Amino acid sequence: MNRINVISKKLYKIGLVVSLAIFLLFIFYDIHNLESNSKRYLSDHYISEGVQETGAINIVTSVLYDYRAFDTLGEATVLLTAAAILSFLVPITKDKMRGTPFTIIVSQTTQVFIPFLAILGMYLIFFGHLAPGGGFVGGVVIALIPILLTITYRVEFSEYKFKPDKKKVSEDIGAIGFVLIGLLGILTGSNFLANGQANVSLGDAGELISAGLIPYLNIMIGIKVGAGLAIIFNSLIKEK
Amino acid sequence: MQISYIAVIILFCLGIYTIISNKNIIKMVMGFTILESSLILLLILISYTPGGTAPILDRQYEIVVDPIPQALALTTIVIGGSVTAVMLAVTIKLYKRYRTLNVDKLRKLRG
Repeated sequence: MNRINVISKKLYKIGLVVSLAIFLLFIFYDIHNLESNSKRYLSDHYISEGVQETGAINIVTSVLYDYRAFDTLGEATVLLTAAAILSFLVPITKDKMRGTPFTIIVSQTTQVFIPFLAILGMYLIFFGHLAPGGGFVGGVVIALIPILLTITYRVEFSEYKFKPDKKKVSEDIGAIGFVLIGLLGILTGSNFLANGQANVSLGDAGELISAGLIPYLNIMIGIKVGAGLAIIFNSLIKEK
Repeated sequence: MQISYIAVIILFCLGIYTIISNKNIIKMVMGFTILESSLILLLILISYTPGGTAPILDRQYEIVVDPIPQALALTTIVIGGSVTAVMLAVTIKLYKRYRTLNVDKLRKLRG
């Protein structure tokens, strides 16, 4: 009797999921029909006018840091909140999750890799408005350095190299700097986080120093994401 | 209808099934991650136009894919990572307190 009960419960769950799949099939069929018929005015505007209006040739960056920059501020706040919650929730400072120690191959390879990671992360951050990349991706690559140190050696060494207080301060610098750069737009009489509308000189599109405030916003987001992810990882692995 | 939308549906339903059928909290977190990746795939599929290049306009291109869903996908990735980290931290706390990860046993220990 018990066995039949278990099987019927499982069948019930599978039936629910299958009915959800059929429902989604119809919805996606409609979405597909919609998008082949409709014209995308906003995307067409971004693609045709975006380079002149923002000065960045990477349109995804110009959407993230110019047209929808307020959205990005909220996104950065989510990451800040997650790092704050984790460092508040997991305050014990002993690591027990370290398993068996690694061989010499792993530690030597980590030492070789770290400068390349630093340069790759910096490149991704500074060329965010010209090439694929940007503050978020570059910040993740930068955060790999303390994560690798934590995995290969131990938390004590990683926190001796990158002090937790300094990581917290640099994350705050990133968050506050983003808001301060946004306030420059208000000072010139335009909106919050305004770039081209506030008569910031955009420069020639395609140069390294161009696109007005976008590279500086990229740097702030890169600092913030790198420090935030390092704090999150170290807090998770420090739990006793 | 493209075949890739079927992949989105399969991933989405796999995530939902993982969440509702497993008792282990870590497997439920894995289900949430699968769900999130299906949504990212959906955003990228919506933005795709056949024959389009990436939206980096260093030359004049004929067809460019839609940049807005790609920006939204970046938002999804960042928020998904933060939420996964918080879920795992709460899971560690639950295991420390109750010494089990089974949802049914967690319910019995309440009170």
